[in-house]
Amino acid sequence: MKARWRKPRARAGVTTVVLLRLYITGRAPNSLQALANLDAICKEHFKEGLRLEVVDVLEHPRRAMADGVLVSPSLTRVHPAPGVNLVGNLSDRAKVLHALGLKRAR
Amino acid sequence: MRDELSGGGRLKLEGLLQGLPKNSPASKAVDAGEIDAVIDYAGSNVVLLPAARRALREAEGQSPAASDEAAIANTLLAALPRAEYQRLLASLEPLTLRSGEVLQEQGAAVPYVYFPVDCVISLLATADDDQGLQVGLVACEGMVGVSLALGADVSSVRALVLMTGTALRMKAARFLSAFRQCPPLQLAVYRYAHAKLALARQAVACGCFHASEARFARWLLTMGDLARSEEFFLTQALAADLLGVRRATVNEAAGPLQTRGLISFSRGRIRILQRKKLEAAACACYVTDRRLPVSGS
Repeated sequence: MKARWRKPRARAGVTTVVLLRLYITGRAPNSLQALANLDAICKEHFKEGLRLEVVDVLEHPRRAMADGVLVSPSLTRVHPAPGVNLVGNLSDRAKVLHALGLKRAR
Repeated sequence: MRDELSGGGRLKLEGLLQGLPKNSPASKAVDAGEIDAVIDYAGSNVVLLPAARRALREAEGQSPAASDEAAIANTLLAALPRAEYQRLLASLEPLTLRSGEVLQEQGAAVPYVYFPVDCVISLLATADDDQGLQVGLVACEGMVGVSLALGADVSSVRALVLMTGTALRMKAARFLSAFRQCPPLQLAVYRYAHAKLALARQAVACGCFHASEARFARWLLTMGDLARSEEFFLTQALAADLLGVRRATVNEAAGPLQTRGLISFSRGRIRILQRKKLEAAACACYVTDRRLPVSGS
């Protein structure tokens, strides 16, 4: 018998863990800006359950390659699926929120 | 791990940027100047864009004065008094210009002026839609859109990016307003326009009286000076267009220079191997050009 897929229901006390990975290039201007922009978004929208991993491509180019990164700065939502990729300095706040599924109706 | 952007690094960056899928988010972010580095999968390396390279170099501990000077990488802007420069700075938008991009069309309105930092732009006078003769080169010593300062809001040339790099862009209206209020900027731009006119005149004489090999050698040296690199990309077809000759003539000009070991020219990659000897092979116009405050036509 075919198993029916059920949409997982949010339960009280259980927080969805969001894993974001930001690829930066040392202290280059766009990378610093991306870090600051993402930090502001995270502070506002993720009270808990967020894990942010920052990968410096100058130190770990092979890591970036393994993850299919083309340019830096670049942001990936690793979890939950589906994965999301954003490139640039994340200055377009609305676009970042929309891509991460955080945009609220105003 | 990081690749410096002189010579080979610059070529590698050009190749990597061209390899990004067109209209992809990565490509758009590069155009918007929001990217610091491109991952080089073939070399397991990271290639920095010019602005990021400068910023990282400064962060690595150069003196504040030196880094300050590095910020004023365009000679025309660097000639301005510091206060005037600071005033202009707010209206200058840094961006990456990519090889093959057309900034202005001949006969069209001039929406922006560009101050190149480490890109090279060719100014072409077009006879047909797709063919143009090079009448000037612009790099970190000058600007694109000088016609605005001379009272014309329509471009008399097509501006084509030859070498990828950073430039500072300013809206035409803002430039005109700053130009009217700033006598030092007026002086710098008039001097530059005069030098460019002199170079264009010299180029006309050169085209009439000098052999194609000597002209080609002169052009390579000028390009090398402006690109601040002994190596650059240029296809034979584009070289022929720029110099206003047939493709076969480029072959005839490049062949002897290559045989004598002065340059290498293969698959669009040109490398100056022996600069002194190439200077000897170039026509006298190269020396004449260098006596002017700016060179490059």
